[in-house]
Amino acid sequence: MVTQAVRTTSQERVKLKSTSAQGRRAAINSITLGLTWIATFAAIIPLVWVIGDVISRGLPYMSAEFFTSTFKPLTLGGGGVLHAIVGSAELVGIASLISIPIAILAAIYVSEHRNTTFGLVIRFSTDVMSGLPSIVVGLFVYTFLVSGQGYSAFAGSVALAIMMIPIVLRTTEEMLMLVPRALREGSLGLGATEWKTMILIVLPAAVSGIITGILLAIARVSGEAAPLLLTAQGSNVLSTSLSQPIAALPLTMYKYAIDPSPIRNGQAWAIALVIVVFVLILNLSARALTRNRVKGL
Amino acid sequence: MTSIPASVVRSPSARLGRALAHGDVPYRLITVAASIVLILLVVSFGLMLWITSAPTRTQFGLQSLISSDWNPSGEIFGSLPFVVGTLLTSLVGLAIALPFSLSIAIFLVELCPPRLRGPVGTMVELLAAIPSVVYGLWGLFAFIPAVVKPLGDFLLKLLGTPTNFIYLPFLSGPFFGTSIFASGVILAIMVVPSITAITRDVLLAVPAAQREASFALGATHSETISKVILPYGMSGILGAIILGLGRALGETMAVTMTVGNVSELPTSLLNPGYTMSSVIANEWGEARSLLHSSALLEIGLMLFATSLLLNVLARLLVWSVSRKNPDQRG
Amino acid sequence: MTINKSHAIASWLALSMFLAACAAPTAAPQEPKGSTALNGSGATFPQPLYEDWAFAYSQLDPSVLINYAGGGSGQGKTDITKGTVDYAGSDAALSDAEAATKPLVQLPSVAGAVVAIFNIPDVTTTVVLDGQVLGDIYSGKIEKWNDAAIVKLNPKLTFPDLPINVVHRADGSGTSSIFTTYLCAANANWKAAVNPCKGTTVDWPVDKLKRGQGGRGNQGVAAAVQKTSGAIGYVELAYAKNNGIDYAQMINSANKQVDATVASTTAATVGAAFSDRNSADIVNVASADAWPISGFTYLIVAKDFTDCKKAGKLLQFFNWVLTDSAAISRAGKLLYSPLGDDAKAKSLAALKTVTCNGQPVLK
Repeated sequence: MVTQAVRTTSQERVKLKSTSAQGRRAAINSITLGLTWIATFAAIIPLVWVIGDVISRGLPYMSAEFFTSTFKPLTLGGGGVLHAIVGSAELVGIASLISIPIAILAAIYVSEHRNTTFGLVIRFSTDVMSGLPSIVVGLFVYTFLVSGQGYSAFAGSVALAIMMIPIVLRTTEEMLMLVPRALREGSLGLGATEWKTMILIVLPAAVSGIITGILLAIARVSGEAAPLLLTAQGSNVLSTSLSQPIAALPLTMYKYAIDPSPIRNGQAWAIALVIVVFVLILNLSARALTRNRVKGL
Repeated sequence: MTSIPASVVRSPSARLGRALAHGDVPYRLITVAASIVLILLVVSFGLMLWITSAPTRTQFGLQSLISSDWNPSGEIFGSLPFVVGTLLTSLVGLAIALPFSLSIAIFLVELCPPRLRGPVGTMVELLAAIPSVVYGLWGLFAFIPAVVKPLGDFLLKLLGTPTNFIYLPFLSGPFFGTSIFASGVILAIMVVPSITAITRDVLLAVPAAQREASFALGATHSETISKVILPYGMSGILGAIILGLGRALGETMAVTMTVGNVSELPTSLLNPGYTMSSVIANEWGEARSLLHSSALLEIGLMLFATSLLLNVLARLLVWSVSRKNPDQRG
Repeated sequence: MTINKSHAIASWLALSMFLAACAAPTAAPQEPKGSTALNGSGATFPQPLYEDWAFAYSQLDPSVLINYAGGGSGQGKTDITKGTVDYAGSDAALSDAEAATKPLVQLPSVAGAVVAIFNIPDVTTTVVLDGQVLGDIYSGKIEKWNDAAIVKLNPKLTFPDLPINVVHRADGSGTSSIFTTYLCAANANWKAAVNPCKGTTVDWPVDKLKRGQGGRGNQGVAAAVQKTSGAIGYVELAYAKNNGIDYAQMINSANKQVDATVASTTAATVGAAFSDRNSADIVNVASADAWPISGFTYLIVAKDFTDCKKAGKLLQFFNWVLTDSAAISRAGKLLYSPLGDDAKAKSLAALKTVTCNGQPVLK
């Protein structure tokens, strides 16, 4: 509404120009604003280019075998990436199981104790965690879970979980804050306990927002390779064991991207296509969910 | 919206009685426990990195930060090339990203027709959703050969040749493609969305009264933007830049694939280099000697400390703008 | 502001279903799934072959899952010392210090040739190099492709006036070790300029001249050379041949021009003098037919296992690799040189020294 007012004002201003100084100012105005338009659309070019390249270079390598077969040596055609799909699903699934409860519970605490010292400390810790370079997360988990025991799917899941917690926590906290106080007080006033109020009234009211956070967190870690390099290590075989190294799509993609073989390069593009489609779907559904939610309020 | 704990409506003793009777105590304990897990995680990150990097600190002291000699086979670990490489790639990235991010944020808040606002905003945010390793692949196969290599060659010819009228040593050759410059350009694409998002929020927080007052005084739209809106949100925009810097500093995969991985101090942006996160990615697996692994952990500690500091700084700056205007929009 | 209750319940259900979906078991495997996992990492020099062997062997014995993660010889040695893998590959033999940290058994598996690959615009015919020129390129003394020393070896070719981008390994590498051992032996300038002049990690002089580039693994070096105009690099022959990357023929110590083939690699292995730990340097040997930059690649395992089933399966695999005719022909097909009788006897004897809880694993 305000912007609209601003725009009319601006247009009126421009129309009022008469002297040459004002003409110069008007010209500068149009040029600057024009440049802003151009810069904005220039910044979108990479997105279109990346997606276009990923589709055009990845699609030709997406055969049935790509999805149904595991790794094969190049002498046998290179095989598929089933092992990496299974590995990624397992890593992200377990990371979700670890991170979501912790994040939601901590978010409940923070939303109720926002301005206490402890609440502030937690919010600060969340900020620090969300800014952690992913490779440092890898170092941390390696020291505790890989050193002496070996690379494992579990270590990889923990690394991803650490990266998911702050994302889920923050969105959940924001959504809990949006739930009207009257709702909560009404429930408490009718005699419900605090935890019943939270589980039956507040959380359900915030649930689409929480799912949004979870979807965004999953999207974020599905493409992470750096922490997995130091924890899950990657693998050529189909394995679901938590104590063994495991393949993951981003790791396999990295390995194939720096390979001299055109087949491996093509498979890297195909994996990129899988990851990008998955991540974009998650992001767009997350946005759709939040939009409905905001409309609903 | 400020929150008062829901329980203040009841008297303390009644609260305690109810809590014990109906499971509110376990409920609170669980939420507190989850929060403590979080804090413990952050604290143990710092502690772990501090303790495990001790051997390098006692052996080399500050020398490991100011020496540029990194030679694992000779057990000499000076991490300056990585620190410099990280700073340079990030600064190149920020320098390129900044004008674009500011333009997009201004565009979204001030100029964008309402119909376009959603799609343009979404597209910019999707740039952030694409994983680092995909940018690395795309950079390696598409962007560097098509854009960075010709652009670098052009800069080298125009400004980086000593015999030219204008000679800028930081653009001198030789240039082969993979370089600080290449990584910087890719980082720029990756940090545009994060800087844009926060700048947009900061601009939205600028009070309408400021804007309208400027128009009322006869300023054009671009004058209003550059003389009123941007200065008002300056500290917040600075915060956005710092958060962008934080993102660029820790980026691993896309940089490892494009920076050249050469552990020498670069003298030109067109030189190959190395960054802190990529040396960890490349050398951690084989670091066997205590000194080598603790040197890499020390680099990890520096990354951790830097990201912590930048985070605090950025939050304070962004917060200072939104606090100025209590009835902020957005 | 009202909350639509049914909508809220539906969303809550969706969340629980989502969580349940995460907990559900992942897709059933399509291919033989083994009960014994054998994890290895290390040298990328033999990786195409080890991956091929692992796949072929798991078809014969579906109860094993053999993984070889690569990562470089440096990583292999570190992982086996720390016990994070069951076996490691390395083309750089264990040093005395490394062998002292943990009781390990090391045995050669095959030999291979390291070749100098290049990417020079408009030059596709055979380029010839020798130790002197290669060493001078890597020490930075030769800066451009049209240098007189290169032209002298290739009088019929026209080289562009193009700076040389020298690609080397970014990770600790046995291929680097073989390559620099050769440069040490064949080029006095290199030996004087670089200290230590050989090893898995080297302080590359070209890096200081800003003409270096580090690649991860043999794959990374090959890919970097493919993508960089004016680049030179060194990789195992299989990487060059299988990906159609041009590589140089060499003039060996008998002053004869040779091509990298299984035959010329095998010629380099003849008469190799093995150390107590079954290792031998075979660079720059005197034979007139020998490829000068050849090397053995080794498998490394712990001397004593605690998991006897795993130990048995692993050693059976190694035994198959060394003795089965199908395995040996696979090596030849991928351009690796199978072990001669002498080396094979050493390797088989070494396998017999591996124990599980003190008891020999192979009878």
